[in-house]
Amino acid sequence: MEQALSVEILVQTLLSGVLIGLVYALVAVGLTLIFGVMDIVNFAHGEFLMLGMYASFWGWALFRLDPVVTLPLTAVLLFAFGAAVYRLVIRRIIAAPMLSQIFTTFGLMILLRGAAQYLWKPDFRSVESTIVSGRVTLLGLPFGLPQVVAAAGAVLTTAGVWWFMRSTRTGAALEATAADKEAAALMGIDAQRMFAIAWGIGAACAGVAGALLATYFPVFPEVGANFILIAFVLVALGGFGSVIGALWAGILVGVVEVLGGFLVGPAYKLVLVLALYLVVVWLRPHGLMGRA
Amino acid sequence: MNRALVSLLALSLSLGSSTPAAAQEEIRIGVLYPLTGAAASTGLELKNAAELAAEIVNADMKDLPLPLAPGVGLPNLKNAKVKLVFADHQGNPQVGASEAERLITQEKVVAILGCYFSAVTATASQVAERQGVPFLNADSTSSTLTQRGFKWFFRTTPHDELFVHNFFAFLKDVAAKKKIQVKTLAVLNENTLWGVETAKLEEKLAGEQGYKLTEKILYPAKSTQLTSEVQRIKGASADVVMQSSYLGDAILAMKTYKDLGYTPAAILANDAGFNDSEFLKTLGKDGEYILSREVWALDLAAQKPLIKRVNDMLQERYKVNFNGNSARAFTGILTLADAINRAGSTKPEAIQKALRETNIPGDKLIMPWDGIQFDETGQNKLGAGIIVQVQQGKYVTVWPFKLASKDIVWPMPPWSKR
Amino acid sequence: MSRLPSRRRLLAIAAAAVVASLLPLVVKAPAAQNTAILMLMTAQLGVAWNLLGGYAGQVSLGHAAFFGCGAYVSTFLLLRLGLSPWLGMAAGAVAAAALSMVIGWPCFRLRGHYFAMATIAVGEIVQAVVANWDALGGAVGLYLPVAEAGWRGLVWNTTKLPYYYVALGLLVLTLLVSAAVVRSHVGYYLRAIKDEPDAARSLGVSLTRYKLVAIALSSALTAAGGTLYAQKELYIDPGSVLPTALSIKVALVAILGGVSTLSGPIVGAVVLTAIEEGSRRAFGGTGRGTDLVIYGLLIIAVAVFRPAGILGILERRRHLAARGEEPRPAPAAGGQGT
Repeated sequence: MEQALSVEILVQTLLSGVLIGLVYALVAVGLTLIFGVMDIVNFAHGEFLMLGMYASFWGWALFRLDPVVTLPLTAVLLFAFGAAVYRLVIRRIIAAPMLSQIFTTFGLMILLRGAAQYLWKPDFRSVESTIVSGRVTLLGLPFGLPQVVAAAGAVLTTAGVWWFMRSTRTGAALEATAADKEAAALMGIDAQRMFAIAWGIGAACAGVAGALLATYFPVFPEVGANFILIAFVLVALGGFGSVIGALWAGILVGVVEVLGGFLVGPAYKLVLVLALYLVVVWLRPHGLMGRA
Repeated sequence: MNRALVSLLALSLSLGSSTPAAAQEEIRIGVLYPLTGAAASTGLELKNAAELAAEIVNADMKDLPLPLAPGVGLPNLKNAKVKLVFADHQGNPQVGASEAERLITQEKVVAILGCYFSAVTATASQVAERQGVPFLNADSTSSTLTQRGFKWFFRTTPHDELFVHNFFAFLKDVAAKKKIQVKTLAVLNENTLWGVETAKLEEKLAGEQGYKLTEKILYPAKSTQLTSEVQRIKGASADVVMQSSYLGDAILAMKTYKDLGYTPAAILANDAGFNDSEFLKTLGKDGEYILSREVWALDLAAQKPLIKRVNDMLQERYKVNFNGNSARAFTGILTLADAINRAGSTKPEAIQKALRETNIPGDKLIMPWDGIQFDETGQNKLGAGIIVQVQQGKYVTVWPFKLASKDIVWPMPPWSKR
Repeated sequence: MSRLPSRRRLLAIAAAAVVASLLPLVVKAPAAQNTAILMLMTAQLGVAWNLLGGYAGQVSLGHAAFFGCGAYVSTFLLLRLGLSPWLGMAAGAVAAAALSMVIGWPCFRLRGHYFAMATIAVGEIVQAVVANWDALGGAVGLYLPVAEAGWRGLVWNTTKLPYYYVALGLLVLTLLVSAAVVRSHVGYYLRAIKDEPDAARSLGVSLTRYKLVAIALSSALTAAGGTLYAQKELYIDPGSVLPTALSIKVALVAILGGVSTLSGPIVGAVVLTAIEEGSRRAFGGTGRGTDLVIYGLLIIAVAVFRPAGILGILERRRHLAARGEEPRPAPAAGGQGT
């Protein structure tokens, strides 16, 4: 580094970390919700994100519809897809050992990647123009508008999920099912329906994240792999099942990745994130905000 | 349980042993490329180009000035036709080695062409070396491949070291002829084999030739953001950024440059992501003025009419143009066919000897090379790269100056003035 | 397997041994032999993984770190000191066991999913560190010399046969170690840890100590497989010997065949390798990912419908046939996490 570190560069780097961290958080919220309600880690979650990105891409490529415009539709599509995956596959392994659960969702990951390759070829594709392209100035510093919009969308969606969980009957039923399945069943809550809703919302969150990312990130069948490892770290860091935990963890990880990459060296930016994760789970085996 | 298991075992082993009897009049060449997996679309381009080359050898094309185009098949082998046997390595080094073994021992190929990825070429060529079968590599650029002292390994494409030398020759040339002075450089490379090896050479040559390297960054290609990297590059404020990136990260880097309002005098990119057809489709005018190393460009046809003719043939069959990768695979098959013909035999030693004596002049190639002659390591001595620039949405050759179709634009205008 | 009468069982083992040792004398095509070697190598890794992941119920998704450790240690010693790969294999095994202590001690505090994910993180960290480590060739990797063929150098050039027997020998060794562990008091405690962790702890069983024994043996045997890989392919780099995809494949082999059984991973390896090779031959040239679709569907089908693995299906069939009953869904088996 030739130049002295200016406060400006540090602040800009820090804020960039927060922006990407919020998108990570939205990916992780879906994952943590599924885990919290039914104790299953969804290895195919990155592929839900990939499907969300492809839905946005095809909306744009075939009908010239902006990913931001089709975002609600993407969310609905992914909700339906998530619920269908639950009904068709996951329903059968609720009581199975953890190993079977891990490998069911893992097989789903391979299947979805293969299917994407089969249907849409392995090429990189991008939404070439969007209404959110350009730059904005925050605190006198330039940022890409797509990143800012993606972060804002992520915050709104996460807040929406949090509100839903806390303030609606269905949300309360989900919470109850998460806390104690038998007790919830005695209260007349249909656990199967709750699980399907959890998968639907989880997939929809990934889909919204995918739609927001599609405004500036290329789409390809393996794109989920870039995000899923970080999402796992967030879920474990924030505590399995904690929406707010995932949000804080997202900001923390985004900042550590970007600022750490800037100060320590980009080659080690993922190592820093993973090391942070190991240290935190070692000190607090159930994450920052996890239920013991 | 045992019966089911045994029959499954037998089934899977028999999958490997169904040997088609090699016809007498066919010369079988193994072609090993990534036909599935992340690079499948590239693999398909390479396959098509190789097939076109075989077709040109086999058919009688009297007025086409390519090796073996006139006359049917290989004249010294009683006009035997070339038959390509394709295999898929999925980008996996272990699969590459297994498939090379199968091609040699079962398909009885007389030579192998492959494998695009340097890591796969490393294992597959090492099988050929152990079996004593010629292996021709047309498109893997890791310098280490020809530093292994192999006797059966030949490479037609220039390698990374040569490309980096090209970069510095280019910088010297623009200083001499265009009065453009470059003093400081920064390196931004992805951190797999290719980017790391290239960065080392760039660092070494910068030191040797009196440039100041103000920053060297190796970043993971699977990054979800490149803000920290671009911030550091920006802080290093070099005249020229030398960048080696794959497609996703090249696009992400360009968008981040723009967001952070950063423009060096030039971005000297190292092929790959910057030359992918998706790069300009995604970035549109934001991809303008990028300088990139290439091995081939369609506008070379202005100097070499042969290029247009062969490209038209590919267009007719597969509705695509040649690119740097497919042009090299095409040239690889022609080089092999030429050597096998001169050997006049399918004996590995004879082909190996003929390959060593290869001497194809530049005017019989669709590449911008002085020709093909192998040195004692098996490396083509006469290969060279070119540098293209994106101008008005097209890649135009700007260096070497004698091949240039357009003048170079330097420095790139800042984002605010576009 | 354990329910078979011991004489029939011995006969089955003897028959398997005879078939395995004579197979390459019948199947002479090198490519088919190569497929068989891949099956043996994959099976060996699965059996080694099973010690920790199956018997002790600690689902590791970071075993590539140990595999890579074996490959890198033996190759480094060969290139730097000219050490025989046989000694290198032993050194790699010891190094991997030491590494497993460093990893295992903190990670064994974690349970279930947390442990599985921590091992993914460890595997990724090891891969990133090696990729940036110049003495180990970094991202460029290490080339092994194409040496004179023979048992001393553990390299053969024109024949696959010796590799087959080395792989078979390694598999037998791994099976013997596993069998010895399972029958010893260690195996007894491991099962207790897996099935009733709280009860085991209250009885004064040192959970961590026995888990450490399991991970040390498992990682050492996995590392030996890594050395064999390096000697066979003669080129290693972080992408080929340290990826998380390899860790997952090793675990998959055990799960597909049936965890907590000695022969399960062997069955899993045979089936998985056959599917991989077969689908590549059948669909590989199409460039469309058909093989991935089939692979994914199969994994889901086994995990959903037969959690006890293929071996579970076969075992059950025979038992029911003997008793003349209709098959019913197999009881769930495998690592019950918390």
